[in-house]
Amino acid sequence: MFKLRHFSAAIAAAVLTACGSDSTTSSMSTSTARGTLAENPPLRIASVNAAGLAAQLSANASGAQLLAITGAPSCGVDFYYIKFWTVGAAGESTQSSGALMVPTGAAPTCSGPRPIVLYAHGTFTDKAANIADITNPAPANNEGLIVAAMFAAQGYIVVAPNYAGYDISTLGYHPYLNAAQQSGEMIDTLTAARTALPNTFSSATSDSGQLFVTGYSEGGHVAMATQRALEAAGKTVTAAAPMSGPYALEAFADAIFFGSVDLGSTAFTPLVTTSYQQAYGNIYSATTDVYSATYATGIDTLLPSVTPLDTLFAEGKLPETALFDSTTPVVTIPGNTTLSDELTAALALPSNPANPDTPLFDLGFGPSYLVNNSYRVSYALDAAANPDGAVPVLTAGVPLAKVAPTQTLRLAFYMNDMRNGDWAPDSPTLLCGGDQDPEVFFSVNTDVMAAFWGGLPTGLITVLDVNATPAGPFAPIQAAFQEAGAQQLAFYLSPAGGSLTLAQAQALLIQAYHDSVEPFCALGARTFFSQF
Amino acid sequence: MKTLYKRGLVIALIASSAPLCHAAQASADTLTPDNEIRLGLYSIFYDASAQDISGPYVPAGLNLHVKNVETLYAAYERTLSTHFTFELALGWPPTTKTYGRGPATVGSVPYNGQEISSAKWAAPSALLYYKFFDDRTALRPYVGVGMTYVNFYDRQSTEAGDEASGGPTKISLTSSLGPTVSAGLAYRISPRWGLYASYSVSRVRTDLTADTAGVIRTTRISFAPGALVVSGGYSF
Repeated sequence: MFKLRHFSAAIAAAVLTACGSDSTTSSMSTSTARGTLAENPPLRIASVNAAGLAAQLSANASGAQLLAITGAPSCGVDFYYIKFWTVGAAGESTQSSGALMVPTGAAPTCSGPRPIVLYAHGTFTDKAANIADITNPAPANNEGLIVAAMFAAQGYIVVAPNYAGYDISTLGYHPYLNAAQQSGEMIDTLTAARTALPNTFSSATSDSGQLFVTGYSEGGHVAMATQRALEAAGKTVTAAAPMSGPYALEAFADAIFFGSVDLGSTAFTPLVTTSYQQAYGNIYSATTDVYSATYATGIDTLLPSVTPLDTLFAEGKLPETALFDSTTPVVTIPGNTTLSDELTAALALPSNPANPDTPLFDLGFGPSYLVNNSYRVSYALDAAANPDGAVPVLTAGVPLAKVAPTQTLRLAFYMNDMRNGDWAPDSPTLLCGGDQDPEVFFSVNTDVMAAFWGGLPTGLITVLDVNATPAGPFAPIQAAFQEAGAQQLAFYLSPAGGSLTLAQAQALLIQAYHDSVEPFCALGARTFFSQF
Repeated sequence: MKTLYKRGLVIALIASSAPLCHAAQASADTLTPDNEIRLGLYSIFYDASAQDISGPYVPAGLNLHVKNVETLYAAYERTLSTHFTFELALGWPPTTKTYGRGPATVGSVPYNGQEISSAKWAAPSALLYYKFFDDRTALRPYVGVGMTYVNFYDRQSTEAGDEASGGPTKISLTSSLGPTVSAGLAYRISPRWGLYASYSVSRVRTDLTADTAGVIRTTRISFAPGALVVSGGYSF
């Protein structure tokens, strides 16, 4: 019995000592200071060599088209998923995430000291979007793939946040088009990525110190705000290339409220209104101040959402295109019949058949609309009393409104307009876009910024309109964009493309226009950056 | 769950020790002493099957397999009666290695056939045997049933495993308690010395969790490990 007890004890000891030294994972930071890398080293989601990336892109038609634009990869790419600490619009601490894409390979352009491209993505309505997740064919990853193929596979280290309010961030909203928050988060992402890089599998690639800032659509605005913030902080920006962004927000919003309703506005409006409400707290007292009763309930937490946008439309949570009431308001300003009549006319349906954009703009009106007439009128009255220099009448120098607007949403646009503060870039800047863009109008954004900076030294600001007659150093890009459009039109007209009518085919092209510009502008950005 | 299994094992050990005093007296007039220590060799055939690995950023079709091992075997056996004995057995915990099974590469990272992880496998068994004939018979076949408790420690993700997982990875493997059946032959050389050969089969499973920078991937590995044991015993 004694011996048995000893043997049992031995077995028990053997079992209980089953707690040797296990391998460990990344260390988790205890600091929540902004810019702190939360997990170090970060997770590598995927690692592909140059041939593998080329094969992955060639596996489908859209990838093959992208490959034709970007050129064959010369480097492999390691995709890291970085988590870091930043703050929301009101200074709330939150974790956010993003991508660190590192070029790999034996070629001298793929390792050693390499430049960083700090990239800001466009509007996502998918709350779960993760630009680092190259294994997922969701729309967010199309943009990730474009950036990977265009920059990382050509030797640039890419750093790109998912933005607060997305993916792992617990922030209950996204600080959409908030210049201060988003530029700050971009810099936090860069800080975290620089911390991560030496500890990754790809530590043979290092930061050369060259920094390029770019982004598309929402990210165009973010990129420009980031360039401004970095320069204000005394950091060197080697060059920047904001693309198709809503830079001149006051002018852009004035154009929309006066009836030039952009595609996507019923998604953009809740995003930006919620963002500014969270930041400034004065956009509305109740959502019904802004929104029609049909959509007001819950709209302040609707986007971003894990529910697909099409489902939100189908469930009646958002109108698909009708931003405004098709029964347009009659404005009555006591004692000012002229202005009343002018505003009533300005807010009427954009039904002028001579206006080629009319069919598009008319989509922005309907009986089941998002923004109510009283709010639209309040905005228009402010815009009429204190007009922007670009809308409705173009004035020399395209200045912002002379004084800060009193209508709170317009004031928020004014504050986040990139003309605010009379800032001008110190570093070479390329502004790229397409002049037929139905989502982010080229004329009231890119053209306005180019005009606003018209007095800067020659060569500091370069404008690339991919839709313009091919000329100059970017002529091949312009020609390729226009050729791609012509080929797509021919496809839609062909039996393989459904034998659509010309009007139907053109409508499809215009719907896809904003997204179709991106890879060509990104190629323009890479061409521009390669000079430095 | 692990605590529950450990408690179950302790209860099994206590319960099994209760009849031993009676058994010692019952077999006092036999030729062979009632206690025996055995040492030998264990060949473990894991016969493992795993579910495909699931979790974020895992392509479809990633699986694992477990390589067979050999190790030292030690056991204590107590005679309860002419036909019944009770055995506590333990192999020297072998390092069990898991290998990638699936695509040749994940992205450009080698996967199929790569050693992904390793862990020490501690698997004590408690078995009740029925031995045919009596202890005056030199060659006695026997059969047994019991339970095996499996615990993993020194859990390591290898360099290749870290590469495939995307970074330094913490591996967790749950413990498991499962039934065991055994059959064998005992050859009595003398009252104190004997030779044994047996084959045992257990049914256990473990949930493998890999934590890479806070991203969790899991799979369940089911084992029906067969253990071929050749040993020599000394009775006292």
